[in-house]
Amino acid sequence: MNALQGARAVVGAPAVPEVRAAAVRLEVRGLGHRYGMRTGLEPIDFEAESPGAVAVTGPNGSGKSTLLRILAGLLRPSRGASRLLLDGREVPAAGRRARVGFAAPSLAFYDELTAVENLEFVAAARGLDRPRARAEEALAGVGLAARAADPVAAYSSGMRQRLRLAFARLHRPPVLLLDEPGAHLDDEGRTTLERIVTDHGRDGLVVIATNDEREWRLAGRRIELRGRSLGRPA
Amino acid sequence: MPGDGSSSAAAVWAVLRKECRSEWRTRWALNSALLFAVTSLTAVSFAVGRLGDRADVLAALLWVVLLFAALASLAHAFVREVEGGTLTLLRLVASPTAIAIGKLLFNLLFLGLIEVVTVPLFLLLMGAPPPSWPAFLGLLALGSLALAAAATLVGAVISQTRGRGALFAGASFPLLLPVLAAAVSGTRAQWAGGPPTAELRLLAAYATALLAISALLVDHLWED
Repeated sequence: MNALQGARAVVGAPAVPEVRAAAVRLEVRGLGHRYGMRTGLEPIDFEAESPGAVAVTGPNGSGKSTLLRILAGLLRPSRGASRLLLDGREVPAAGRRARVGFAAPSLAFYDELTAVENLEFVAAARGLDRPRARAEEALAGVGLAARAADPVAAYSSGMRQRLRLAFARLHRPPVLLLDEPGAHLDDEGRTTLERIVTDHGRDGLVVIATNDEREWRLAGRRIELRGRSLGRPA
Repeated sequence: MPGDGSSSAAAVWAVLRKECRSEWRTRWALNSALLFAVTSLTAVSFAVGRLGDRADVLAALLWVVLLFAALASLAHAFVREVEGGTLTLLRLVASPTAIAIGKLLFNLLFLGLIEVVTVPLFLLLMGAPPPSWPAFLGLLALGSLALAAAATLVGAVISQTRGRGALFAGASFPLLLPVLAAAVSGTRAQWAGGPPTAELRLLAAYATALLAISALLVDHLWED
């Protein structure tokens, strides 16, 4: 099944070259998390493969963001495990951050630095060649080229969201993990987001956590988290 | 493949450059540290005049000024990331080891900058040139390394705790006390004309131990 059913075709070549073709497989087995006494994510099992995009939906508090943080290697799960395989070889936990691109509302940048300085730092820290050029390419890819030299402190919410998308794609990872990627975006920003999901999903894997129909319709497959929501305390 | 070298020298260099750029853009830590150092030295100088014959007071005053001028910034190297919400970004792009080394190098650089301004002013105002420059500079270098290592380690450990301000004072006191005691003792000894060999060895050993402990702990510090 084509995981990109529902995605709109968008004219225009992406500014950032696409990910290299690598078979991506994500295996989630009994993955759950608790924050102290509170359930953050009820145990869940699923598999996802490239090429394509998968949407994770569910009520507030059902664990969408928690799931993506675990998949990004930012959070150690209380139970279960997730495996990321590239061309059949498992990516070790320490190497996962290099293979995933992560964008979430909680992701903040250095306000005192400009957008291009922020991404230049990220590119340099990731060991990429030509970090400045990579940063400029990534910003152009989300429509921020004209504001690249502005301090992030002067960015609006929508511009910060575009910057998060540029950050996620900067190192051309095979897996994109996008948490509420359309938040604060205007129409042009949403078109950019659609292009990113469509282009990336041709070779790699995109996981989108959202409850926005415009976003989950970009994915060919939808996983509904039915864990505890705000109305059902643990 | 990008990212494999995130614990490499490139990542350390990137973190160090980012720290320098952020500090240069805001300058809040540098300005406040220099302001404290210059005003406290000037005030003491006006109040008591030259202290060239009081090796004990000289040594204590020098290290107290350096400690308090630099400590606020040293302790906040990681706290700034937590309070600014940028720790997630940092964790995604570099290994904990690279982050810690980059922060430690920045703290050392910061301490060095403070000393470049503070120490000549101190020697001038107090009228106390060191009898042995190699010993004096060796004490400054090793004392700064131990101070930066202790403050960076404690800053990293307490950065994600709630009462980090109070916790830093409590947690850093037992770690900083041996550094201060050895540095003050060695500095006093060199002003008194004796060789501070034992203190230099102690500072070197203590700094090495702190760095080794940091290397062991750092991978576990920011796991949620």
